[in-house]
Amino acid sequence: MGTFGEYIKSALSSIKNNKGRSFLTMLGIIIGISAVLTVLVLGDGMKETVNGEIDSMGAATISVNLDTTKTDKTFDQDSINQVEENLKNIYGVAPSFTTWGYVKGKHTQYEMMMQGTSEAAKEGGSVKLAHGRFFTRGDVEDCKPVCVISQIAAEKIFGYEDVVGQNIELTFDDRTAEFTIVGVTENTPQDISYAGYGGDPYFIGSAPYTSFATAFNWNIDDFTSITIYLDSEYKNDVLKQTRSVVENVLGIRGENAVKVSSGYGTDQTTETILNIITSVVAIIAAISLLVGGIGVMNIMTVSVTERTREIGIRKSLGARTSSILVQFLAEAAILTFTGGLIGIALGLSLAFLICKVIDFAFVVNPLLIAIVVAISTAIGLFFGIYPARRAAKLDPIEALRTE
Amino acid sequence: MKKLVEIKDVCKIYNPGENEVRALNHVNLTIGEGEFVAIIGQSGSGKSTLMNMLGCLDTPTSGKYYLHGQDVSHMTDDEQSDVRNREIGFIFQGFNLIPSLTALENVELPLIYRGVSKKERDRLAHAALNSVGLEKRKTHRPNEMSGGQQQRVAIARAIAQAPPILLADEPTGNLDTGSTKEIISIIKRLYKEGRTVIIITHDPGIAQQAKRIITISDGEIKSDIINENYVD
Repeated sequence: MGTFGEYIKSALSSIKNNKGRSFLTMLGIIIGISAVLTVLVLGDGMKETVNGEIDSMGAATISVNLDTTKTDKTFDQDSINQVEENLKNIYGVAPSFTTWGYVKGKHTQYEMMMQGTSEAAKEGGSVKLAHGRFFTRGDVEDCKPVCVISQIAAEKIFGYEDVVGQNIELTFDDRTAEFTIVGVTENTPQDISYAGYGGDPYFIGSAPYTSFATAFNWNIDDFTSITIYLDSEYKNDVLKQTRSVVENVLGIRGENAVKVSSGYGTDQTTETILNIITSVVAIIAAISLLVGGIGVMNIMTVSVTERTREIGIRKSLGARTSSILVQFLAEAAILTFTGGLIGIALGLSLAFLICKVIDFAFVVNPLLIAIVVAISTAIGLFFGIYPARRAAKLDPIEALRTE
Repeated sequence: MKKLVEIKDVCKIYNPGENEVRALNHVNLTIGEGEFVAIIGQSGSGKSTLMNMLGCLDTPTSGKYYLHGQDVSHMTDDEQSDVRNREIGFIFQGFNLIPSLTALENVELPLIYRGVSKKERDRLAHAALNSVGLEKRKTHRPNEMSGGQQQRVAIARAIAQAPPILLADEPTGNLDTGSTKEIISIIKRLYKEGRTVIIITHDPGIAQQAKRIITISDGEIKSDIINENYVD
């Protein structure tokens, strides 16, 4: 080990004695490593940012849609309850619908949207309450005319925020009913973005779907889509079971009529695009690293030729084949390792700047850094083998004769 | 006197076949411990081949070479490296210091290859530099020193790990008269301290400094005499 340290030291001093050349040799590695690192860190940042947004929107939902061209079965209350009972690790199942209507404000009527759902939407939708409570299972079962609305909607309709206990007048399909507000929810990015349209229509909140049905005389035994609310941790497990559970409950067989999708289809698209970009850049980076590696091999071969006499001297003093081999391998590996470190610094700075500009989370995975360091060192070892073997195999007499 | 070097019927043939060159032709040679030998010959006489053979840089085509009683005529490269490291201190005509290393680092090299610990290496290297009077120059690189000083560093390197044989190949070939005297006097002192010294040279003036003079020509030993004119 002690002698190994000496080889490293001598490799370092030889790199130091040829600063300019060493740097140019490293350049290929630096560019390759920094390019690949920038893209990977940006990718992680993008995933983190997208996932962060999904979490705040209530990430863990699974939508089940029935293809009406292939089956005439629909969900009624019984089948919804059966689906709920047959799926494990979920908060609950609710028919999902968003309905358009009007709400009476202090001075005027607003056009708006509301969601009809069950109490499961609270957990599964990561709803945070500013005031009051969410509606309960009991509210849903008893078809109570209660609702929750967002802070921003409360401000708009009432002019102040804590409106728990107030009644609002909702109009859907020419029928009007009074609902009691039991809770005010914290604004989500979704609420804010809907409100951004200037006034109406916007999304104001949720109420039990059964209450809507009772108040507005809707049929609640004829849903073609339901939403499953769950913790994102179980999403993949539940996704696998959902289709067969629904087919069993509804008695649909093999007609491909049940479409299951996880709540947010968009993030998969972004991920696919991101993966394509990552692969393309990875290929470019791989080529750049290959070229960089060949550069290292080239310069090491030159170095071996220039230092033939030195190798002869070392051999005459008792250096074994392996000592010379290790010395030159270490030199190549240190060269690419250093290039890798510079590349990491450069890549991280670049990724940091880009993340700042496009407002991504800047996430650095330590494992990624470790892998990059390992890869850059491995490049040196791999491309150093040829010149190092050439050096190690030199005949000492011939080598000593070289000027 | 104990036998240190024993060469028995050694031939070295280059390009075997039609144009073969017999660099060494049935050479027999014995050198005892503590001897001071000069091997003199013109260029092409085979003296360089003999020196490579003695220094375990080369192996004979036929015949045997016993060094310290060990047959070293047929060994792998790594075994030869180990024998060189253990048995032989080289002093070359061109000094052969590594330009990127300081005097001290150059002297430490054979100790590194032997696996001597850092602390011990430091002590031995300093002692060796001290004995050639160059301790003050230990941080200088070869290009910052005169030829004579470089050769003294090379001698320090050769003696640092106390090998049984000092093998000097034209040690003063690149030096002026003043430096030559200095180097010869150091070599003589090392001999008097008990080391076995072999000098290879074409210069009769240098050969006359040794106690035993072996003349080689056409790959054969022509004479092997005790130098009557040897002065301490």
